[in-house]
Amino acid sequence: MSDFKSGFFVGGEACNGRVLVVDDEPDIRKVVKMTLQKAGYDVLEAENGEKAIETINSGENRLMLDVMICDIRMPKVNGAEAIAYFRSNYPHVPLIVLTGFPDTDMATSFLRQGVVDYLVKPVEGEKLRSAVARAMEQRELARL
Amino acid sequence: MEHSDQTKVAILGAGRGGRALLDLLHQIPSIEIVGIADRDPAAPGLQRAHALHIPVTANVPDLIGNHGVQLIMDVTGNPEMEAYLKAHKPPTADILSGSASRLLWKLIQHESKLEAELLQAEKLAGIGSFAAGIAHDINNPLQLILGLAESLAEERDLAAVHEQALDIVEAVKRTSAICRDLTRYSRRASPHEDVSVSINAKLDEALKIARYASSFHDIEMLKQYQPGAAVKGNPDELLHVFVNLITNAVHAMEQAGGTLTLETRVLGGQVDIRISDTGCGIAPEKIPEIFEPFFTTKAPGKGTGLGLYNVNTIVSKMHGQITVESKVDQGSTFTLTFPHAQPNQEGCL
Ligand SMILES: Nc1ncnc2c1ncn2[C@@H]1O[C@H](COP(=O)(O)OP(=O)(O)O)[C@@H](O)[C@H]1O
Ligand SMILES: [Mg+2]
Repeated sequence: MSDFKSGFFVGGEACNGRVLVVDDEPDIRKVVKMTLQKAGYDVLEAENGEKAIETINSGENRLMLDVMICDIRMPKVNGAEAIAYFRSNYPHVPLIVLTGFPDTDMATSFLRQGVVDYLVKPVEGEKLRSAVARAMEQRELARL
Repeated sequence: MEHSDQTKVAILGAGRGGRALLDLLHQIPSIEIVGIADRDPAAPGLQRAHALHIPVTANVPDLIGNHGVQLIMDVTGNPEMEAYLKAHKPPTADILSGSASRLLWKLIQHESKLEAELLQAEKLAGIGSFAAGIAHDINNPLQLILGLAESLAEERDLAAVHEQALDIVEAVKRTSAICRDLTRYSRRASPHEDVSVSINAKLDEALKIARYASSFHDIEMLKQYQPGAAVKGNPDELLHVFVNLITNAVHAMEQAGGTLTLETRVLGGQVDIRISDTGCGIAPEKIPEIFEPFFTTKAPGKGTGLGLYNVNTIVSKMHGQITVESKVDQGSTFTLTFPHAQPNQEGCL
């Protein structure tokens, strides 16, 4: 664990970047967190769009959040609303949609809004990690 | 309920034909059934008559002679009865018997077949809107299963392996429950005899189905169940009624969210089932129209306009009543009232 490009430290552990997972299913948050932690990411969770907005607006997250992974079908501020909010208020944070319902129209519209990836559950860990890695690269570019 | 302008009808024969006649005629306000007769005390129509508080007798001369009967409906299929009636009927009474009553029986059967077809058609039309909900509910556990399985492949800690394997088993069970719920709902209502149905369990089952049909975003759930609430009826049809009313309530709250309240109450031999929303409401002049077939304010693909029509058909068949209270922009309450039945052990049919 020495060759992290932009590794910084959170709670004493090496960190490849910070990801916010927004999904109403605790199981999904749990498994995404598990998958990403294995690749050295620090993972935050939110159970709906409202909580996600709260999370990003609180404390250090405003600056420290690198990538967001978001479901569409959720109670309270749903994914589509949350994505619109993030695109206009935090355009530098790359977004990945992770949804259970493959809908081509929706996918096109999201990609047009600048969402970096549109993944359909169930997604393999490898694919998820590489989508996050790609998003992290974008984040790096935005930082320059 | 007795009006002087009601036609007084006597039914002879309480087999399946007599029972079907009872079911049909008792729903018509301008008809008063003065009694039903059968030699066989175990005839199915006699039990139905008891449930509907319609007098039962074995004494045909008394039934046709002493109650001001205007129409005698003979569904015994017995030529001797036909001959007896011709000779002994009061001069003011008409007789429906022989081939005329057979024709009527055929028409009733045909109508109930059409009714069942319509019910099924509406149900299937609605299932199209389930796709998003089903995909969500199947792909979520699949994501969990995949993630856990991937992690298991690398896991060295036996305790962790054990725990994750159990999580996978649970997730698989949840996924297969979805298919079970949906096949139970989509199948044709089985034509079995009425049984005692536990209302609270049926409402919960309907809630699960309705979640596939429409998203419950921003909807708060409130349940006020009285334990032991039960009614007699066909469980599949009752499920269909509840799914329809819940789906309507959720649709009404689609724009602004709100509260969905499910309430059951047993009072004085009756069961009240209340489904309330805090949605868009219904204009007073529209209320009589909502039960009409094909009346809908929804986009094609979202509404057929057959939901409440079918709800009404089933509820009157079960000898229940349905009332609506609604205020525009405040919400609606649909109340169903049925005679209370003894709760059944295997209540969740
Ligand atoms: N809870 C409700 N709140 C507001 N309007 C309702 C409600 N339930 C039914 N309606 C109105 O009655 C119409 C007919 O309902 P229904 O027969 O179930 O057909 P559908 O739901 O397919 O339109 C609906 O289109 C809607 O306008
Ligand atoms: Mg409806």
